[in-house]
Amino acid sequence: MAETGVAKTPELPNLVTILAEKFHGSPFASFLIAWENVIFSLIIIAAIAITAYAASRKTALIPGRLQSLFEMFVGGVDDFVCGIIGHDGRKYVPFIGTLFIYILCMNLSGLVPFIKAPSASWSTTLALAICVSVYTLYAGFSSMGFVGFVDHLAGRPRGIVAFLVFIPVMMFFLEMVSLLFVRPLSLSLRLRSNIWGDDMLLAVFASFGLKGLALLIFNSIMAIVVSIVQTLVFCLLTTIYFTLILSHEEESTAK
Amino acid sequence: MELLKLLSANEIVAQVITFLLLLFLMKRFAWKPFLKTLDTRKERIASELKRIEAAKAEVNGLKTDYESRLASIEAEAKNRIRAAVEEGRKSAEDIRRLAREDGERIFAKAQESIKAEVAKAEEALKDKIVNLTIDVASKVVQERLTEEDDRAIVETFIKEMEKK
Repeated sequence: MAETGVAKTPELPNLVTILAEKFHGSPFASFLIAWENVIFSLIIIAAIAITAYAASRKTALIPGRLQSLFEMFVGGVDDFVCGIIGHDGRKYVPFIGTLFIYILCMNLSGLVPFIKAPSASWSTTLALAICVSVYTLYAGFSSMGFVGFVDHLAGRPRGIVAFLVFIPVMMFFLEMVSLLFVRPLSLSLRLRSNIWGDDMLLAVFASFGLKGLALLIFNSIMAIVVSIVQTLVFCLLTTIYFTLILSHEEESTAK
Repeated sequence: MELLKLLSANEIVAQVITFLLLLFLMKRFAWKPFLKTLDTRKERIASELKRIEAAKAEVNGLKTDYESRLASIEAEAKNRIRAAVEEGRKSAEDIRRLAREDGERIFAKAQESIKAEVAKAEEALKDKIVNLTIDVASKVVQERLTEEDDRAIVETFIKEMEKK
C-alpha cells in the first residue's frame, strides 16, 4: 500500500511479498501488503530487544563479549549526546540511542536477502520524525514551562523589541512552522529517500544478473556507508534540535 | 501532492507505536542497566585510583620514615664507636699515668733507702775506723797514756781528717 499509486519502482522480493504472492487475492495477502513495513519493523524490534535482553540479563562489572559491545554502544551514544547537549543530555540518551540503533538496523536490513528496509518507506521515517518533534516540544515545555517556552520560541523579546509585537509574533510563528513541519519533513524525507534510492539501485542492478555483479557489490558497499551516515545525520540533527530547544535553559535558571 | 500518496496514516500510527514499544524495551533492557554499569564502573575505577594514590603516598611516607630512622641508627652507632674509642684511649692514658707515678714513687723510695743504708754504713765504718785506730795507737803507745787521753787524741785526729 505504501508505494501504490506512484509509478511502479523496481523492488527486490522479500518475505512478505513472496507470501502475498502465494495467497494472491486473499484478504491475508492484502493485509500483508498493507502492513509490510510494520511487519519488518516488528521483526527488527524483536531482534534488537532480544539481543539487548540477552546482553543485559547478567550485567557484570567485568563484561562479557556481548555486554562489552552494548557498553561500547551505550557509552558512545552517552558521550555523543552529552558532548553536544551538555550534562543534562543524560535524559535524552535513551531516546536518541534507541533511534540510532533502530534506524541503523532498519537501513542495513535492506541489504539482507528477503528483508525490506522499513526506512525506505516515508511513513516509517515520518513516524520517527514525529516522535522527535513531539519529544522536543515536550522537552521544551517541561524544562521552561508554557510561558517560558513561548517566550523562548519568540526569541526572548526584551525592551524595545517586545513592544514591536510583530517581530516576536513572527519569530514564534516561524519557530512553530519549523518545529512542526519543516524539521519532521526534512528529517523523514532525507532518510527515506536515501535508503529508498539505495534499495532501488540494488534491485535494478540485481535485475542485470551476473553482468551487474560488480555494480551490485559496489552499490552494496555504498549502501552500507549511506546507511551509517544517514543514521548519524538523523541522530545528530535530533540532538541538535534538543540543544536548540534547551539552549537557554541554563541561562534562564541562572537568572 | 503526488508525494503525499506515499503516506499512510495507519502505517504512521503503527510505526509510532512500534517505535515507542522499542523505546520502552530498550529503556528497560539496555539503557538503564548499561548506563548504571558504566557509571558504577567509572566510580569504582575512580575510587580505586584514589585508593592506589593514597597507598602510594603512605608507602612513600613509610619509606622516608624508615630511611630517616636508619640514618639516625647509623649516626648513633658511629657516635657510640667514637665514644668507646675515646674511652679506651682515656683508660690507656690513665693506666700509663698510674704506672709512671708508681714507678716514680718506687724509685724515690729506693733512693731514700739507699741513702739511709749508705749513712748507716758510713756510721759503722766510722766506728770501725775509730776502734781500729785506737787498737793500733794503743799498741804503739802502750802504757804512756790512759784510755781517756787516747780517745781524746783519736777523736781530734778524726775531726781533722773530716775537715780535710
